[in-house]
Amino acid sequence: MQEEYKKSILDKLADKIVYGLGSFISLFKKGWKERNKSKMEEWRLMLYALNRSPPALIGLFFVILFILVGIFGPRLAHWRYNFFPMLYTKSYDKIILAPPGSKFVLDYYNNTVITFPLGSDHYGRDLLSLIFSGARTSFVISIIVISLGVPLGIILGLIAGYYGGKVDELIMRITDMFLAFPALILAIALSAVLPERIQNFISAHEAVQKFVLWLFALDVREAGNLGRLLAVILAMIIVWWPAYARITRGSTLTEKEKLYIEAARAIGLPARTIMFKHILPNIIGPILVYITLDFGGVILMEAGLSFLGLGATPPIADWGRIVYDGAQYFPKAWWLVFYPGLVVMLVALGWNLLGDGLRDILDPKTRRSIEFKVKKSKKEGEANA
Amino acid sequence: MADLKKFLIRRILTFIPTIVGVTIIVFLIAYVIPADPAKAWAGGEKASPEAVERIKERYHLNEPWYDQYWFLIKGLATNTLIDPRTSNPVFDDIRDRFPVTFQLAIIAFTFMILIGIPLGLISALKRNTWIDTLVRIFALIGVSTPVFWLGYLLLFVFFVKFRITNLAGVPPAPSVQITHVPIIDALLTGKFTLFKQHLARFWLPGFVLGFMGTGVLARFVRNSFLEALSGDYIQFLKAKGVPKLRMYRHALKNALVPIVTVLGLQFGGLLAGTPITETVFALPGMGRYAILSIQNLDFPAVVAITFIYAIIYVTANLVVDILYAVIDPRVRY
Repeated sequence: MQEEYKKSILDKLADKIVYGLGSFISLFKKGWKERNKSKMEEWRLMLYALNRSPPALIGLFFVILFILVGIFGPRLAHWRYNFFPMLYTKSYDKIILAPPGSKFVLDYYNNTVITFPLGSDHYGRDLLSLIFSGARTSFVISIIVISLGVPLGIILGLIAGYYGGKVDELIMRITDMFLAFPALILAIALSAVLPERIQNFISAHEAVQKFVLWLFALDVREAGNLGRLLAVILAMIIVWWPAYARITRGSTLTEKEKLYIEAARAIGLPARTIMFKHILPNIIGPILVYITLDFGGVILMEAGLSFLGLGATPPIADWGRIVYDGAQYFPKAWWLVFYPGLVVMLVALGWNLLGDGLRDILDPKTRRSIEFKVKKSKKEGEANA
Repeated sequence: MADLKKFLIRRILTFIPTIVGVTIIVFLIAYVIPADPAKAWAGGEKASPEAVERIKERYHLNEPWYDQYWFLIKGLATNTLIDPRTSNPVFDDIRDRFPVTFQLAIIAFTFMILIGIPLGLISALKRNTWIDTLVRIFALIGVSTPVFWLGYLLLFVFFVKFRITNLAGVPPAPSVQITHVPIIDALLTGKFTLFKQHLARFWLPGFVLGFMGTGVLARFVRNSFLEALSGDYIQFLKAKGVPKLRMYRHALKNALVPIVTVLGLQFGGLLAGTPITETVFALPGMGRYAILSIQNLDFPAVVAITFIYAIIYVTANLVVDILYAVIDPRVRY
């Protein structure tokens, strides 16, 4: 009579996900599932907590949508980002900016009449396709910045906090140097000076160039503009790590005073093991929340930088750049400013909602209260039966 | 008090290495990172060899690195760094543009305080009601909205549709200058038409710039007010039967300490957010100057601007730290 109490579809899905994940890990490590029952139970409760927080679910929905469009966007786009059509009205006058939903002739000779659902930009490109392709740019940039900048900050923070003394002093002084600049200003200055060197490097290494082009789903013709694009990424990595170094150092300082770390040190575990296997898992919770929120932050800053004319150059599709180019036709071509900005906002909002919800989900108190409720309803179910 | 003095001296002394660090990073940005600094300073690919040579001569780019660093420091300290685009010493250019940026930040700050603090207090008093939720959503939207998007959206509403704001140029500064911030000077010297002109030009960009911080401030005010309300002394006042309003006044006094520090930090953040706002609203301020210099690869100006922003930011943090120690007697140094 265990399944008497009602589980929502999402809860059942959560059960399946955790069970599937456990089985998957067991494929590689025999008996993992049996040994880690309590860990899996915690994961399940985390997902239950997620299911009970509508804002976090909405955030998750936007985030998943963003990731999917980020991966498949360039394929979803009906027109390639570097296809520049000539648009004509039915009386064969040339159109520079096609408003959303308006009918026009695309092919002069075949008389093909089509519409662009969100209008066109000043090159005659379909805005919807551009937004799809631009999702890839935003997605790749945010992933690279977070996956390089954050670990760098965390490792430096762990080292500074754990060893203390002169190492700490040195790392934190360098961190302070970077934190003395407003993030946006430093990012602007760096993305202005970095492109040349990066471009030289890219041109010299063909394999790297191919990889980056593949990553951003770009044509070989854009190889000359990669320097500017990568400069923004590097600039944001440089801007992003210091905050994480500082947060991690702070929590490491309190964590390393605890008894279990002393015990670990007493039995002679190497410092690396203590730092990464014992301290890090115990301080990662709040950092994960920051990471989720910062995905939104990176996307906003990237859009801001490309709005200022830094980073991606046309014809590379980039949300901020579309606004930068479209702003000269504002307010006539309002759609060029409105839609890309709206997309940036929704994506950033998604990450922020998810991060806000994650704060509750990662809090053990929330999990206990849900466990209590689930058990209670189980008992009630049994009593009714 | 002796402790406080010691703390102040120590805190101001830590200011010095930070400034040195700032100059080092600025040096890296200007001399080390660009593949060919002389060419970049002369204007990039289109620069003629003679111009590059001239720039090398003028900015000591042929000398060893310590000489270049010394030249940069000297240039920043004595304002001898020349902007190749405008041929003025860079800090002269910045001085002309600073009032616009500062005024923008002040108006944004005013909006933030006028909206953020009351919202925070209301949502604390009506905790867990729809008002509280609304403020929470407002804060989330605030941090997720791209500044340029909000700027154009409000431009469309208030400029294109209703014409409540002005976009052309910047009104002149009043002849009598007291604070060197035009809008405050106009108010102080009683020139109300000028004040109105400044307000018409600056209120919308100010609002846009302050929007992001407003929600965050409201959430912060709410949390620190709630924390103050849960203190033992408030329980005691409740038991004594003190009227509610007076109780709130006591709690507010204690809640204000962290709020003041956050406000200080936010002001630094506002200054940093000016490049985008100034670009949207075509304001000739420091941020716009930075962007224009970068587009022209005008390196001395980039260096000076980055330096100035960092100095303002660090000074704001310093002031906040000192203020915190001064207003809260419980702080131990």
